[in-house]
Amino acid sequence: MKIPSIARALPALTLAAGLAGCAAPQGQPDPRDPWEGFNRSVYKFNDTVDRAFLRPVAELYTFATPAPARTCINNIFSNLGDLWSAANSFLQGRGHDFVNTIGRFLFNTTMGVGGCFDVASANGARRIRNDFGVTLGVWGVGPGPYLVLPILGSSTVRDGAALAVDFTGDPAAFSHLDNVRLRNSLWGLEFVDTRASLLDVSKTVDRTALDPYSFVRDAYLQRREAQIRGSKGQDELPNYEDDDAPEAQSPAKP
Amino acid sequence: MSLSAFAPVSGFAAMRRLLAAAALAGAAALAPAHAAPDPNAEPNDFVGQVAEQALQVLKQDPKLRSGDIARVNEVVDQYVLPYVDFERTTRLAAGRYWRQATPQQQQALAQAFRGTLVRTYSGALVNVDQSTSIRILPFRGEVGDDVVVRSQIVPRANAQPVNVDYRLAKTPEGWKIYDLNVEGIWLIQNYRNQFAQQINQNGIDGLIQALEQRNQ
Repeated sequence: MKIPSIARALPALTLAAGLAGCAAPQGQPDPRDPWEGFNRSVYKFNDTVDRAFLRPVAELYTFATPAPARTCINNIFSNLGDLWSAANSFLQGRGHDFVNTIGRFLFNTTMGVGGCFDVASANGARRIRNDFGVTLGVWGVGPGPYLVLPILGSSTVRDGAALAVDFTGDPAAFSHLDNVRLRNSLWGLEFVDTRASLLDVSKTVDRTALDPYSFVRDAYLQRREAQIRGSKGQDELPNYEDDDAPEAQSPAKP
Repeated sequence: MSLSAFAPVSGFAAMRRLLAAAALAGAAALAPAHAAPDPNAEPNDFVGQVAEQALQVLKQDPKLRSGDIARVNEVVDQYVLPYVDFERTTRLAAGRYWRQATPQQQQALAQAFRGTLVRTYSGALVNVDQSTSIRILPFRGEVGDDVVVRSQIVPRANAQPVNVDYRLAKTPEGWKIYDLNVEGIWLIQNYRNQFAQQINQNGIDGLIQALEQRNQ
């Protein structure tokens, strides 16, 4: 496997890219994204790798694998991940989500033949995805600056740090698997499966974004906030008019 | 149709029932095409009508299977956009910069952003197949002039439902959709920074130009 050497080369690559692109952003920086110059370079690096390699592989996989097999593979990984989601719902004190997710895991594992069929969703039980970054958020830890990670993409300082916990805790990360070859194969398959499931998302970004970097960043930050607010925050709506207030005091321009 | 359930007593009665049933079925099949969504209905019903109509048109379309994005754009343009207040969407996305724009710029900006909105809405519809369904969730809160209608779209049979919320405002012509939320991400919110960025760099005309470029 070449992964270790790539992993070693990555920080050097991203550092070089970061230094090259430090002057990128103009205008007032977003207070949530003080490292925009660096982030933009990593984004560009990721996008290049994605277009040259990851996306074609995911497209080939989608083309070559029959849809039921793909769905089954995706369901099995998601079902394993549900255990970690449930653990995090528990840590967040969301007992209702915890019980539901455990129930969905048991139902899918048994009736859904090891998670291959998502019978719980077919019966109207929505999957509630959760991870340790959300847990920290619920506990009151702020996100910190926005951070684009090499290959993994959008994150924040909080969510990036939480990844280490996710990696050891999430059964779908296979970090406790002793058989290295099996583990690496599973990682590879899971990565391709994840990328394939995001093909529609990246098409939407391509079709609609004015500045893909801002689009992805703002979508990520909004989504994470919504996850942290949970069902309680569903009724909170963005107030678009508040920006108008200071402007209203200054003389209106024709 | 299960004719056996009618247990006809005579051939004539059975024939009459059959004809009546056929007429009803025909009316039901034609009805969705004729009944345009009613913007003065309850917000939940209105959004349900708009969504069902768009789904129906797509499902009956033979080009649908090929995933023809141009065709989906057309359907959105014809069956969704009339119920969307895209001027309001544009105004809110532009935020405080809206007032700095001349009326001509405002109009040009809204027209240029319209294309992006069509592509955004069609992104949600491009994968529609015969099993795609939408469920409008129970309305919460009170009906004021600014409401949210929640829905779950099941893209394919047995797939994970996607949460999609619509924000509507009451206008003189009835309800109009002006914002859209997919899995926690509001559309307007997601364009505010991009708009501000472009305006800071290249002015309002620069933004209009950038949007028009994306439309080509």
